[in-house]
Amino acid sequence: MEITQILFWFLSVLAVFGALMMVTSKNPVYSVLWLIVVFFAISGHYILLNAQFLAIVNIIVYAGAIMVLFLFVIMLMNLNAETEPQKNKWLKIAGVVAGCSLMLVFVAALRQSDELLKAPVSMGGETGLIKTLGKTLFTDYVLPFEISSVLFLSAMVGAVVIGKKGD
Amino acid sequence: MLELFFLQSNPASTVAKAVNDSSNYFPIGIQILFAVGFVAVMMVLTHLLGPKRPTAQKLENFESGIEIHGNARQPMAVKYFLVAILFVLFDVEVIFFYPYAVNFKELGWSGFVAVLMFVGFFLCGFYYIIKKGALTWED
Amino acid sequence: MSIFFLLLQQELLLTAIIFVLLFVKLSTKQWNSQTVLSFVNILLVVNLAAGFFFKEKGTLFGDMFQTNDLLRFEKNILNLGTLLISLQAYNWLLKHKHAIEFYLLMLSTLLGMFFMLSSSNLLMFYVGLELASIPLAALANFDLDKKRSSEAAMKYIMSSAFASGLLLFGISLIYGMVGSVNFTDIAVAASENPLFLFGFILLIAGFGFKISAVPFHLWTADVYEGAPVAVTSYLSVISKGSMLFVMTSVLSTVFANLLFQWYNIVAVLAVLSMIVGNLFAIRQQNIKRFLAFSSISQVGFILIGMSGANIESHSSVVYFVLVYLFSNLAAFAVINVISEASGKENIDDYKGLYKTNPALTWVLAIALFSLAGIPPTAGFFGKFFLLLGGASKGNYLLIIVAALNMVISLYYYLRIIKAMFMDANETPVEKLAISWSPKISMAVCMAGIVVTGIISGAYEYIYSLLK
Repeated sequence: MEITQILFWFLSVLAVFGALMMVTSKNPVYSVLWLIVVFFAISGHYILLNAQFLAIVNIIVYAGAIMVLFLFVIMLMNLNAETEPQKNKWLKIAGVVAGCSLMLVFVAALRQSDELLKAPVSMGGETGLIKTLGKTLFTDYVLPFEISSVLFLSAMVGAVVIGKKGD
Repeated sequence: MLELFFLQSNPASTVAKAVNDSSNYFPIGIQILFAVGFVAVMMVLTHLLGPKRPTAQKLENFESGIEIHGNARQPMAVKYFLVAILFVLFDVEVIFFYPYAVNFKELGWSGFVAVLMFVGFFLCGFYYIIKKGALTWED
Repeated sequence: MSIFFLLLQQELLLTAIIFVLLFVKLSTKQWNSQTVLSFVNILLVVNLAAGFFFKEKGTLFGDMFQTNDLLRFEKNILNLGTLLISLQAYNWLLKHKHAIEFYLLMLSTLLGMFFMLSSSNLLMFYVGLELASIPLAALANFDLDKKRSSEAAMKYIMSSAFASGLLLFGISLIYGMVGSVNFTDIAVAASENPLFLFGFILLIAGFGFKISAVPFHLWTADVYEGAPVAVTSYLSVISKGSMLFVMTSVLSTVFANLLFQWYNIVAVLAVLSMIVGNLFAIRQQNIKRFLAFSSISQVGFILIGMSGANIESHSSVVYFVLVYLFSNLAAFAVINVISEASGKENIDDYKGLYKTNPALTWVLAIALFSLAGIPPTAGFFGKFFLLLGGASKGNYLLIIVAALNMVISLYYYLRIIKAMFMDANETPVEKLAISWSPKISMAVCMAGIVVTGIISGAYEYIYSLLK
């Protein structure tokens, strides 16, 4: 096995394991910490795909800032053991069945798509580099870029309206 | 594998590698591995080697000698969250500057106008936040 | 350079209005709220009127943005609906301390819908969709001191984020198979490859959430009930209508190669939406919940029209959304007036309404007649064209199910009309004085229901735009 393959398998197992632990943890704070593990594993995948900018952004914004928000939300809510809602058993079974069917469909679809095998993942490639990304973002995709700033503006207004007491 | 270990010492093998190849991250990966491994080993070792004679009083949480009372899980004021969410928004704004800074010369005036508009929208939002006093800390 | 402004006219004007409002809010002078609201409504009238004066079509920013006669017309419909909702919300906003923010958020979502309509690229579409849905969560929370309103916002943002996740996963799969997010490239490369189909189905799931088709409807009733009436009407007419426009054109142009696959999906969604929407609507007590389920069943009818996948069925969808806008907004106008004055939102409270408020009763009755599809209201012609469009595929089972559902829906719409006209009530809603702004809104809706129904020009005009 090449080193890339070893890294790929290591990161994949780490990501899946972290995601499972995140879902199954009883304590929501542990869930957040496991989610951070998942984000780091995904960032590792980005680096393997030579998308370094995405890897760094993923760590700074998601693992850094947004996870802090998640922790704040958990602290905002009153999460004592007694107040925790008990979920319906049938709902859980339905969820498992639905999830397994989705998994089945996805695996079946993947197995039948031979096009994917023709283009192996490589460590090279210039697509994910910050320079290429910047060029595309500010020429072809300049309109979505500007619209996203309107989105941020309205998000600010919405957050202040909801979160600020008084007038 | 060996090639990567001698990356520093053997310049002939690096000629083929592009500057931005992700294999350049390998030394960083090894460094992180060592850092995490060192911490983990130290923590496990202290657990194994240190003597443990627990008593009920020793296991109590230490709060400057004051006895614990009440529950630590009190709901927190929403104003912390407001500051945090505004921080995230401006954090994302700054992220967009990196790709622009790398291409600053090539993009020329059109790129400059695009970024200026983007920052302009954000400044309007920032002025709104200041004006509404969302960042003033009140009790 | 000038073509740039002409093509982007509707979007740029809307952005300008958003910024004017922001500066009004930030100016040091304290404006009288009556002045501000009248000013906003005048701006919205100008915005609506200006949309009719430009005819340029073309693309901008490579292939990011496109506009043509049909898109302009659809945006005008959305503009009209926003203006009507703004008029209905006038009295509520007079007392609200965040009136300008309401407009900032609402017009931002409208801008997002415009870009979503005009997108010819999945990424652009996604950004537009996010702009059209995230501020809506803040709007749903606009009754700031009511817990129900916060609950509605929470449910909306959670399920909306989940739907966006599905949609984005679908987009990424499609991008993985095609290598491009451009609509023309996808249309060429669309194939029966399983992974591509999987991505496509996820995309439909994302669409289905936004139009609240069964089985993606679970958020609808709670959000509609908890949100302020103006926001509920915005969600049920404008947000849903814009998504229906996009879905119709995307399915029939971009995924035309996959017609066989999506026809079945859309047909199943249509049948489920009609049946579930109707059966749940019968047992509702709250009038907002009732209208939520009635709107789900209306979406079922629209999906039948969509499944036709030709020019006639496409124009029937656009025509029905226009009719639906007038009918539903007329109903919401009455609900808004009564809820604002007395806080009553239960169907039982509407008993004996005719004795005290005959004018309001007639408006609501005509709106419900139109929703039920009784001739000579516009709703009848709307449903007629939808079924005609759906029947072009020769699937008569679908049409029979639709006809049966029309009978069921007739029952519960008439139940409300009977309650208003015939039932006695000990404590009826007292006689209400209606101010000028809801009056104008109701008058426009009534005129719309009558005119788009009796004069066949509306449908033919839309048909001519599509040709």
